Amino acid sequence: MQHQYLDEPVDVTVLFSGRRVRPIKVIWGRTVFVVDKLNLVHSAREGLDKVFFFSVSSRDSFMQLRLNCKNLEWRLIESFVP
Amino acid sequence: MTATSGKIILHLDFNTYFASVEQQANPFLRGKPIGIAGKGRENLQGGFGRVTVNGLNPERFKRSVITTASRQAKRSGVKTAMATWEALKICPDLIIIPGDPRKYAQITKRFLQILQSNCDEVEQFSTDEAFADITTASGGDYFGATLLAERIRNQVRDDCGEVATVSIGVGPNKLVAKLASESVKPNGLTVITPEAVEEFVLGRSLADVCGIGPRLESRLGAMGVTSMATLKKVALPVLLREFKQYGLFLYQAVRGIGPDYLEDDQADPLSIGQSYTFPYNLTNELEVKTNLLALADRVAWRLRKQSFAAKKISVFVRWDSFSGWSGSRAIKDPIYDGRELTDVGWSMILPRLRSGTINTKPGAMSFELAVRQLGISVSDLIQLDTAEPLLKKDQKKKNALLALDKVSAKFGTGSWQRLSTLCTVFKERVSGWHYDHED
Repeated sequence: MQHQYLDEPVDVTVLFSGRRVRPIKVIWGRTVFVVDKLNLVHSAREGLDKVFFFSVSSRDSFMQLRLNCKNLEWRLIESFVP
Repeated sequence: MTATSGKIILHLDFNTYFASVEQQANPFLRGKPIGIAGKGRENLQGGFGRVTVNGLNPERFKRSVITTASRQAKRSGVKTAMATWEALKICPDLIIIPGDPRKYAQITKRFLQILQSNCDEVEQFSTDEAFADITTASGGDYFGATLLAERIRNQVRDDCGEVATVSIGVGPNKLVAKLASESVKPNGLTVITPEAVEEFVLGRSLADVCGIGPRLESRLGAMGVTSMATLKKVALPVLLREFKQYGLFLYQAVRGIGPDYLEDDQADPLSIGQSYTFPYNLTNELEVKTNLLALADRVAWRLRKQSFAAKKISVFVRWDSFSGWSGSRAIKDPIYDGRELTDVGWSMILPRLRSGTINTKPGAMSFELAVRQLGISVSDLIQLDTAEPLLKKDQKKKNALLALDKVSAKFGTGSWQRLSTLCTVFKERVSGWHYDHED
């Protein structure tokens, strides 16, 4: 098992559905992570910025992504490989 | 206060709250023994880069406690408030997850919104439980109450996730509703009609009743009272003689009588305090003082937020040896500024720090007096309005603090910080999170 807390920029492909955003693919360096399930979304304020946290999983790993609504930057903040 | 006033009260309680929310977020944690611990994950990101948590970095967790254990961990003997190292000894497979207060705060907000949109009135009882008056919303009968409870449970599942389950109890008052929700876990829905109250309450154990803790239970045991049935046989005068006013509570509780009104406002606090166990011992005076200031700022913010000023300040220090020292001082002019709280607190702590100093390096303390835990609290509270400063410069300071409070209320408590506290190790916590987050 490997559990890491990170703060790394990632590219994320998302699906827009009404007012909702659903990550479907995450590219972290050379690794492509296909999202199977969106498990939980929560938000918080960080100073002036509103940020959303997406807890997503594939068949073999879990990631938590952070979206900054101000600059639309995605970052990978947690990775869990059982 | 009755069992049959016609009111219908619902009690909602999350099952192993923090652990369930983490298992909801990360499906690979489901069905596994996990414990929520540590000082919050902010610490892990702050300056430590990539930190491996399981394959533990022991430094992060050696002074922490388990705030919530999953059902699987509980089955292995892990309990809330158990030291993390002890929990790992009992359950070597335990997965330690640093708490994420912002996540839990949002789930709390979601379930409260669901209750508010479905019920007549809501009272938040703690982070993960709430009472609601559903007398009107249910149509005034227990059939409607059951349907409404089922709807609430489904909405919680939709909004908070299928793993973060709740147990719901419905009854004629808060005591019975809470007993009902706790009678079936996890994911229970228990409805106790007024006619069924007596039989239901007598079937519970003494420890099931909110308000009967281990000490009271053992005192009752010494009187030969070991069950609700035996408690019911004790006459009111005997209970009053033995437990004073609490005797009346026991007399009523065993008969299923409890409050059927919700508290819309919390009672005024008698004191406000904050303490912190540091991840490493503080061995330098300046470090102790800046951390005291960071703690005092938190206390002062909570003080002003509730519109109070304080006339008594207490400080507490736990040394590395686990022995402790505490002191308090009454002050003439009420205080609501963290800096002023620190000045008073520091004047009490400093002589203690210097009392056994053997190291001649400036600011260094003796090894024996290394600080493990620091706490500051205020009491003898008065309304902030009555603490109006006379001098113009003090008025200006008060205005500045109130302006900063507005910033904190809008953008969170981390949105401003004194320069001198930038190097403190004091960060957000897993418990007490609701003071850290306004969102």
